[in-house]
Amino acid sequence: MAEPLFSIDGLSVGYRTPRGLLRALDEVSLSVPRGGALGLVGESGSGKSTVVMAALGLLAPSARVTARGARFDGADLLAAAPSLRGRRIGVVFQDPAAALNPALPVGLQVIEAALLHRPAPRAALLERAAGLLGELGIARPHDVLAAYPHQLSGGMKQRALIAAALLPEPDLLLLDEPTTALDVTVEAQILDKLAALQAARGLSMLLVSHNLGVVDRLCDTVAVLYAGRLVESGPTAAVLATPQHPYTRALLAARPGPARTRLVPIPGNLPDLTVADPGCNFRPRCPLAEAACAAPQALTLRADGRAVRCRRAGVVADTPLPAEAVADARTVQSAPLLEGRGLVRSFRRGGWFAPRSTVHAVADVSVAIGRGEVLGLVGESGSGKSTLGRLLLRLEPAEGGTLAFDGQAVPAAPAAAFRRRAQIVLQNPDTSLNPRQRIGTILRRPLARFGLPAGTEQVAALLAMVRLPADYASRFPHQLSGGEKQRVGIARALASRPDFVVCDEAVSALDVSVQAAVLNLLADLRAATGVALLFISHDIGVVAHIADRIAVMYRGRIVEEGPAAEVLRPPFHPYTEALLSAVPVVGAGDRVARIRLAGEPDAPAPPGGCPFAPRCPRRIGEICDAQAPPWRTPSSGHRIACHLPLDG
Amino acid sequence: MSAALAVPRRLPPAALLAGGAIVLGFIVLALLGPWLAPYDPTRFAVRLRFTPPSLAHPFGTDEFGRDVFSRVLAGARYSLAMGFGATGLSLLFGVPLGLIAAIRRGAVETAIMRGTDLLISLPPILLGLLILAVTQPGLGKTILAVGIVYTPILVRLTRAVALGVLAEDFVLAARARGESDVSILVREVAPNALAPIIVEAGLRVTFAILLGSALSFLGLGPQPPSSEWGLMIAESREFIAQAPWIGLAPGFALCALLMSVNLFGEGLRAWLDPRAHG
Repeated sequence: MAEPLFSIDGLSVGYRTPRGLLRALDEVSLSVPRGGALGLVGESGSGKSTVVMAALGLLAPSARVTARGARFDGADLLAAAPSLRGRRIGVVFQDPAAALNPALPVGLQVIEAALLHRPAPRAALLERAAGLLGELGIARPHDVLAAYPHQLSGGMKQRALIAAALLPEPDLLLLDEPTTALDVTVEAQILDKLAALQAARGLSMLLVSHNLGVVDRLCDTVAVLYAGRLVESGPTAAVLATPQHPYTRALLAARPGPARTRLVPIPGNLPDLTVADPGCNFRPRCPLAEAACAAPQALTLRADGRAVRCRRAGVVADTPLPAEAVADARTVQSAPLLEGRGLVRSFRRGGWFAPRSTVHAVADVSVAIGRGEVLGLVGESGSGKSTLGRLLLRLEPAEGGTLAFDGQAVPAAPAAAFRRRAQIVLQNPDTSLNPRQRIGTILRRPLARFGLPAGTEQVAALLAMVRLPADYASRFPHQLSGGEKQRVGIARALASRPDFVVCDEAVSALDVSVQAAVLNLLADLRAATGVALLFISHDIGVVAHIADRIAVMYRGRIVEEGPAAEVLRPPFHPYTEALLSAVPVVGAGDRVARIRLAGEPDAPAPPGGCPFAPRCPRRIGEICDAQAPPWRTPSSGHRIACHLPLDG
Repeated sequence: MSAALAVPRRLPPAALLAGGAIVLGFIVLALLGPWLAPYDPTRFAVRLRFTPPSLAHPFGTDEFGRDVFSRVLAGARYSLAMGFGATGLSLLFGVPLGLIAAIRRGAVETAIMRGTDLLISLPPILLGLLILAVTQPGLGKTILAVGIVYTPILVRLTRAVALGVLAEDFVLAARARGESDVSILVREVAPNALAPIIVEAGLRVTFAILLGSALSFLGLGPQPPSSEWGLMIAESREFIAQAPWIGLAPGFALCALLMSVNLFGEGLRAWLDPRAHG
């Protein structure tokens, strides 16, 4: 086998902390062959970004780096990293908004690295940059180069940054969660273009991601990192089809999807990296662990190119995961619990010196939720789904429309009775709890507010309900992990025994293993308490897992709504179809037809017509721009707002 | 990083301890001044006029033969009262106004903030003069005037900090419980906004002392024969050439107090502000 372009052998990175040496990476070995793509997978805290920083020589000076060897194209990587980065190793980071200087035009920043490393006239470089942007699917690249960052959408910025990394013609492209901050339709376009670029230029790539679907889409080999150690590697298709390490298998099993089986979360938390553990460090969370796992585990290389760090690897395949069907208590009564009709909410932009314009975040939306029902609300960022959730709780003033709860009209300033019965769980566990209050205080408040008994007992019962120990009542939020904080947020919302809860991206900020546990918890609580949920998410997989009915929003309007199973199968609204096909699915291969949306989510829509018309791959013609689409009902309770005839 | 009400678990920095110790020393001097002073600060001794510093009179005597050391000791209470009293007043007015302006967007906010802008647009000394010109001068009036002068700054700061906290998700959760504005301000906003406000207030004490002394210097503070330091400096001007110690003593005392309060305030900022710790 030829020498790989990029290889690290036994790389360890440690940081000195007051509690001892923190082992961020423990003897990690990886290689990227010429023209190959390696996916590096792991949850937050696994050390995957540390690998990227080490390869770039950009670790903090306090980091203690040791390696048996690290080579790039025959040179010593650790010594040569400063001269390689930007020139022969290009890099794209997660947040395109943070990576661009807002005060400089994009074009200048795209050619900056190339200007530094492969000097050429600016005009020529800009011309080449425009060509690259064209390859990346940007229609008018010269306009993008002349623009300032704030004038571009996230997807455009990220493409500009990919072009900037590619312009000096690097041999290796490091991609650190390159599409995580983007909408799924934009992510799909970028992944397609990256795959095409890799094929066309023989580019090598190291892709870091928490998303197994993204890795499966782009990479031929994959390496799984857990708490600083490599636990499994091998050809992507084989590893994802028949995972050998219990952690890899657990990661795959924790992903939600349309299957109505209970998710299998990974119990426990990441180990404390300051405590040296020579044995398998996944042991405390592993269902297959036995006493001998406390002995050091070697990464065993097998004949088929796969490597596993688990002495029980053979047993993994033979021990099926529990497949528990979810109780299907999804009877929907005729009278809805909550009904919003013709809700409108708009925001004004501009003012004194800029032209005024009105953006309809929610434009004439009617929605109904039955008792004990879970309505999933999906859409890209800016579709108005969070605003709709807040309108339904009267947390934002509606400009039009009516809201009824349990048969009663809800006024603009609702009474305490409505507040008690309609609650919210928010996205970000770090900001949804008051950092100055103890968990006990946080949970006692809703009880006291609504005149319920609010003693230590009740707080302990709430903690038990979300499966947290009673002594957490005396802790402060920063002493909890993200998943634990989210459980407290759920307990706070359910404290007053509400009948309806809005879950606004309630699991989106969590790692997949934790997300599975929280989704299971929500499903259990819903079965136990009969609470109805409006489950808002950009992740159609999560919504498909939990929702009884699904509503799809696009630019302030619901474009499709119906029972989950009906929405997820044809006939589709063209937007739903595109959303579903954009989600990178593990093991999808080339089986699914790829529908890609042109343009950006904020493309202006013609007034009066269908809001999706400018991007619609199935646009019929003038009628789409001129007339509001009619509701079509392919089956009872399923409606699609589209001009396309149903049999088309 | 920090846990309960604004008190971090790390050790306070040296500046905070040193500044705090000196400020504490001044407070002790101010309280015990009358008993510590070797002479009555207002007793005339015409034969001892303009005595240079000596063992008997460490800071010398003034034009009426009064002991300058005793007068400086007795004056400490005025400066401290003006610094802390005026800052306390501006906190008392400024923090509630700032919180109200933050939560009541619209007409109330506009009224408070435009009023604030009006006050801020006048130079502090002029505004102080304006307030004092219409009333009888005295220590209480000076404190009130300085307190009013520094209120707008605290209104603005409080509003800015509170707006940041109000945008947090836990406030939305409180609104979903239908909490009243007062409850949101008291339970959710104030505990999270207090740290930067306390730090700013600590630094404001310096300015308040300085402005109070300046107003006294102009004759709009405590009246003779009181020994407020600004007043002492003003009275010593005529004799600066023949007896410089009369003005220098209160000048140095003022300087030392200002520096220690400033040290204390900066130390407080370093201690309470998590960003100062990387």
